[in-house]
Amino acid sequence: MTLRELFTSQSVELSLKAETKDEVLKELIELLGLDSKSEGILFKTLKRRENLGSTGIGKGIAIPHCRSLVVNELRLAYGRKPEGLDFQAIDDAPVHNFFLIVAPPLEVSNQYLPVLGKIAQFAKDPDIPDVLAGLESPEDFLKLLEDRAP
Amino acid sequence: MSNTLLNPQLSILLEIQDMRAQLRELSSGEDGSAPMEEEHFNIDLDEARLHLQEKIDEMVAELSPQIRARYNRIAPNRDRVVVPVIHGVCYGCFVSIPTATAGDQGVHQVVRTCENCGSFIYVKP
Repeated sequence: MTLRELFTSQSVELSLKAETKDEVLKELIELLGLDSKSEGILFKTLKRRENLGSTGIGKGIAIPHCRSLVVNELRLAYGRKPEGLDFQAIDDAPVHNFFLIVAPPLEVSNQYLPVLGKIAQFAKDPDIPDVLAGLESPEDFLKLLEDRAP
Repeated sequence: MSNTLLNPQLSILLEIQDMRAQLRELSSGEDGSAPMEEEHFNIDLDEARLHLQEKIDEMVAELSPQIRARYNRIAPNRDRVVVPVIHGVCYGCFVSIPTATAGDQGVHQVVRTCENCGSFIYVKP
């Protein structure tokens, strides 16, 4: 399965409103379209993962991720904050691009780790931050995945 | 994001469940996420595992005595102490849950267990 197949235009937001780390996590979770109880549980789990160490991998990119009982299948979302915000990334630079990955505790297809690896690899491509900054619509993002993350 | 209709004890169990999954991932070998967490996210695995275990222990202590006793019976032998119920089927033992339990509107307001396998259940919306 390609990364493109795991995103929909509804799970992409190019103008995040969040101003803090907590707010950005909540806004990303909302892109998954879960019920409010599930959103609350997922937020706590993502926060606990962030407490172990930031998922900001540097160069303006963060990949918040976890396994949680609240999803039945692997779910992904992408959010962009053009102005950037402090996410305690490993290079201490503001983060502009957020890839959320949530997987159920057990998956038959076991896609979670390969997908996490693919996103990390995709995000580390030197020109990707600039390309992401130039996206004008969710469809542009999906096209980028088609072209650059087979 | 409101959790008002979720039983607080069930909420704790769900958090514990998710942390146990995280701990398992960080404890797994070459095929698990531990190497990835180290490589891409600079996680100190020993420290992370210790932190998670401490949090799990803290949260278990917050469970009521009755629920904690059941948790302590289940936890050592199973990866998952809370299992989802999807379309009326317990995903711990794959046996159908009585409709009265699976379809109950207030299903998240009380802590329930599967009558067959004894796992705590979380009925998926």
